[in-house]
Amino acid sequence: QVEGGETYLIKEISVTGNTNFSEQTIIAYSKLRKDEEIQVGGEKIANAVKTLWKSNLFSSIDVYVVNIDGNTADLEIHLSDLPELKDLTIEGVKKGKKDEIIDENKLKPGQKVTENLIATTKNYLTSKYRKKGFLNTDVRISTSEVIDSVEKERVDMRILIDKGEKVKIKSINFEGNEIMSDKKLRKAMKNTKQKKFIRFLKRSKYIEDDFREDLVSVVDYYKENGYRDARIISDSISYLNEKNISLDIKVEEGEKYTFGKISFIGNTIYSDRQLSNLLGIKEGDTYNGVELRERIADETNPDANDITNAYQNFGYMFSTINPVEVSAEGNVIDMEIRISEGKPAYFNHVTVVGNDVTNDHVIYRELRTRPGELYRKADIIRTIRELGQLGYFDAQQIVPDIKNPNPVDGTLDVEYSLVEQGSSQIQLQGGYGGGGFIGTLGLSFNNFAIKDIFKKDAYKPVPRGDGQSLALRLQASQFFQTYSFSFSEPWYGGKKPFQLSSSISHSRQFLYDNTTGRADKSKSFNITGLTLGVSTRLSEPDDYFMLSQAISYQHYDLQNYNTGLFTFGDGTSNNLSYTVGLSRSDLSVDPIYPTGGSNFSVSAKFSFPYSLVNGVDYKALKEDREDQNEIISDYRANQNPTLQETAAFNDANARVSEIDQQRFNWLEFYKIKFKADWYQSLTKKLVLRPSMEFGFLGAYNNDRGVIPFERFFVGGDGLANYSLDGREVVQLRGYPNQSLSSQDGGSIYSKFSLELRYPITLGAQAKIYALSFLEAGTSVNDFKDFDPFKLNRSAGFGLRIFMPAFGLLGIDFGHAFDNLPDGTAPKKWETHFIIGQQF
Amino acid sequence: CSDFQKTLKSEDTAAKFEMANELFEAEKWNKSYRLLDQILQKYRGKPQAEKLTFMHAMCSYKLGSYYEASFHFDKFTDIYPQSEKAEEAAFLAAKGYYFNSPVYSKEQKETIEAIEKLQLFVNQYPESSYLGEANQLVKELDFKLEKKAYEIAKQYNKIYEYKASIKAFNNFLLEFPGATLRNDAFYYRFDSAYNLAVLSVEYLKEDRLNDAIGYYNALKKAYPNSEYLEAANLMEEELQQQLNTFTTKS
Repeated sequence: QVEGGETYLIKEISVTGNTNFSEQTIIAYSKLRKDEEIQVGGEKIANAVKTLWKSNLFSSIDVYVVNIDGNTADLEIHLSDLPELKDLTIEGVKKGKKDEIIDENKLKPGQKVTENLIATTKNYLTSKYRKKGFLNTDVRISTSEVIDSVEKERVDMRILIDKGEKVKIKSINFEGNEIMSDKKLRKAMKNTKQKKFIRFLKRSKYIEDDFREDLVSVVDYYKENGYRDARIISDSISYLNEKNISLDIKVEEGEKYTFGKISFIGNTIYSDRQLSNLLGIKEGDTYNGVELRERIADETNPDANDITNAYQNFGYMFSTINPVEVSAEGNVIDMEIRISEGKPAYFNHVTVVGNDVTNDHVIYRELRTRPGELYRKADIIRTIRELGQLGYFDAQQIVPDIKNPNPVDGTLDVEYSLVEQGSSQIQLQGGYGGGGFIGTLGLSFNNFAIKDIFKKDAYKPVPRGDGQSLALRLQASQFFQTYSFSFSEPWYGGKKPFQLSSSISHSRQFLYDNTTGRADKSKSFNITGLTLGVSTRLSEPDDYFMLSQAISYQHYDLQNYNTGLFTFGDGTSNNLSYTVGLSRSDLSVDPIYPTGGSNFSVSAKFSFPYSLVNGVDYKALKEDREDQNEIISDYRANQNPTLQETAAFNDANARVSEIDQQRFNWLEFYKIKFKADWYQSLTKKLVLRPSMEFGFLGAYNNDRGVIPFERFFVGGDGLANYSLDGREVVQLRGYPNQSLSSQDGGSIYSKFSLELRYPITLGAQAKIYALSFLEAGTSVNDFKDFDPFKLNRSAGFGLRIFMPAFGLLGIDFGHAFDNLPDGTAPKKWETHFIIGQQF
Repeated sequence: CSDFQKTLKSEDTAAKFEMANELFEAEKWNKSYRLLDQILQKYRGKPQAEKLTFMHAMCSYKLGSYYEASFHFDKFTDIYPQSEKAEEAAFLAAKGYYFNSPVYSKEQKETIEAIEKLQLFVNQYPESSYLGEANQLVKELDFKLEKKAYEIAKQYNKIYEYKASIKAFNNFLLEFPGATLRNDAFYYRFDSAYNLAVLSVEYLKEDRLNDAIGYYNALKKAYPNSEYLEAANLMEEELQQQLNTFTTKS
């Protein structure tokens, strides 16, 4: 006999009972050891039982102390296994549904059958079918022991499901409503609808939870219209027959109230007048409790212009605002808005967690909330937005955690919790295009750490975490090769957001040889370029503005490269230019799927006006060129040219290329561009993006003329391929690529577009959205021909998928409405594949 | 085909056990680990499991998989608290956490975890021969946290956020009373206050000058021989001069 409290030394441990587990396993699992001291009723035994219970494998566990001999004793662990499931029969549903039920409830053979399993399965099934409108669902589960030669204890389970008929709501009847019509009240019920012939989207099912919610909506509807005493007296379901029910709701409307005097108490920061402007409710207005609550604190919109935010954005974190009804005489309600402002709150600790790749300094410099500064809710919201814009973290998962708010000291901490996301992209592709195999290797690292490139440990797989971006791209086919490398540091020097960027590129293109069908290596066009740029954030007019400047140099080298585009097949051309741009961007939050804010940029790129100082008489050259052109066109019109005339034609051609070589030895031009787009949330998910852009390429000296480079190519998918001659490829879907500009590119263009976007998923693994668009644009060579209303229009729809490792991929189907500039009708539908982000 | 490959593919558990043991003794961690991985399950609940579990954890430790090693060492001490290897396992588990601690400029979750684990070890085995090393590791990890807070405060100074810098240094000095970087913190706190005062708007200037001088005095008192003092003295002179213009005005 054991009383409890005695201590024994364990001599042997044995396992008895109905179990299939080996003795050793159970003893090891119980953590009870031989030659160990145990106390009856002590912790060790309790723990052993607890651990065994947790395994969820046994239906009973007992530990006995046996064979007591002085201070030694044996332990006996007595257990029985839980029965395992052998066969399962489900009756009353289709075969396809059975697998679903088995999966969702984990009813696989071998599963331990507990009471809990039976109860949760039953509840799951009942509520599942009720939600689908089978109000009379009845589920029965029975088990029976299996008797066979296997020693394990096993049971068969039988699930009987009687769904009954699908029940629909035939009618919703109201009683007691005199002011509001039945129709209006039914409309207020968002989720519970009565049967109607034309209803497709919302079915007339009865779901208890939804119905309860809707009753609250009905009362809210009354409250919004001044009936603040309105209430539901009773509600009931009556069964009309197997399939139909009707809902009867009895309401009491009460009297209509209006707002009386609204006074503010306790406000020192804002005057009564300022507050009542914010409140926007006047004496005599219909009493609307919902609106009053929203004007004080709008729960649905953290940026709302309400009274709470007015205080929250002024440091008054601890402020509380309570509307109190002080009198309700004659259905006129006088309100007192009682405000307790509290102390202004200052940030104490500002911390960041979750950055296991990105270094602190890259993050902390972007934070708008800093230690010792006044708490402003708007700063937190802006910080979230800007951290999301960096692209290193998943924008959907940035969470600001307010910690240790201390109303006495007026301090609080904020901790931003971030989740790193892949910001590197690797592109390795091979494909056929342009008459041959094209291989591409693209690497872009957007959170690079160049200081770590010699550290072996930092290669995981590349050194990351300093917010620099580095991109490398190699592309080659038999007709062209391009190499480009770029690097940028967003905070050069670490003191201010002063971005330094540089890029080097080189490309070679070869002409097509008509006889062999291969590239003719003796005819080539080489472009080598170098760009250095800086950009800084401005503080005026506001700090969303960026000023950027760049100097770029490109060298064009043509060898025997005679095409329609160039009049000089052999020669060189140099392009040294300066670009200055001003842009403003306040997109919120996710850079892949912005839901608000706008982008706007204007830039000018220009070369030195050489013709003003180099003393070349371009007018004479122009006249000379016109004369030569006359000879050329005369010759072309001539059916039987003489030998002499042919010689003159050849001379004229040679002279034209000589003149053009002189005109374009150093490119002289200016280029103005303007671009703007907006993002506007229409509903909770739907986003509208209007945008417009213009570009103009001009010459300082009209005799010298507009250069053949740096031009605009409008139409198509907008993907800039290998061409590095400064061209701008402008997307205009629905038309073939570059079909809206002349062959050499236009010098003026304009484009307008309206895009409607709908997100399908915005998870961290993949962001997918669907879009539809209306676009219109035009491109001409001369300002005289520019008619901003003569546009090529199109409409269409598409899909975008963004995955961190692959970047943005998309497909668009566009329908063109207008003829191409050359008068031909375009194909009705054009398919565009989109790779990479279009900005 | 080597002996190892043969044994790896065979079904002979005992031979595997023997070879794993030999390889372990010969410090062939990778090969030993592969064998142990195969047979560990088979010995579950048997007396050999104790040794095997320890060897298995040790191999992953030696191979540099510290997350895994710590997990298995922790499990070992949990299952075999009476084992003679328990102390070593507890220490290596904690040390595994130490190796997982990243550079100071990234999230320090693992660092804090490692400090806690090492502290627990020290509390549990106050007589341990590993005590010296454990304390050394804790010190190193503590410095990481200190360095992190210091660098963040210093960055505020660098990006001209002087107010934030002062506050961050104040917090730093409060939270790291024995800090190695205290002297530097005193100086940069003063530097931030100096800049804030010198660049201040007029109506706050006098207060800020006084604050800055206060921080100078704190530096001088705490570190009378600070290498920063020479520079600080010059800055303080300028502050005094500017302050005099206020006192003469009124």
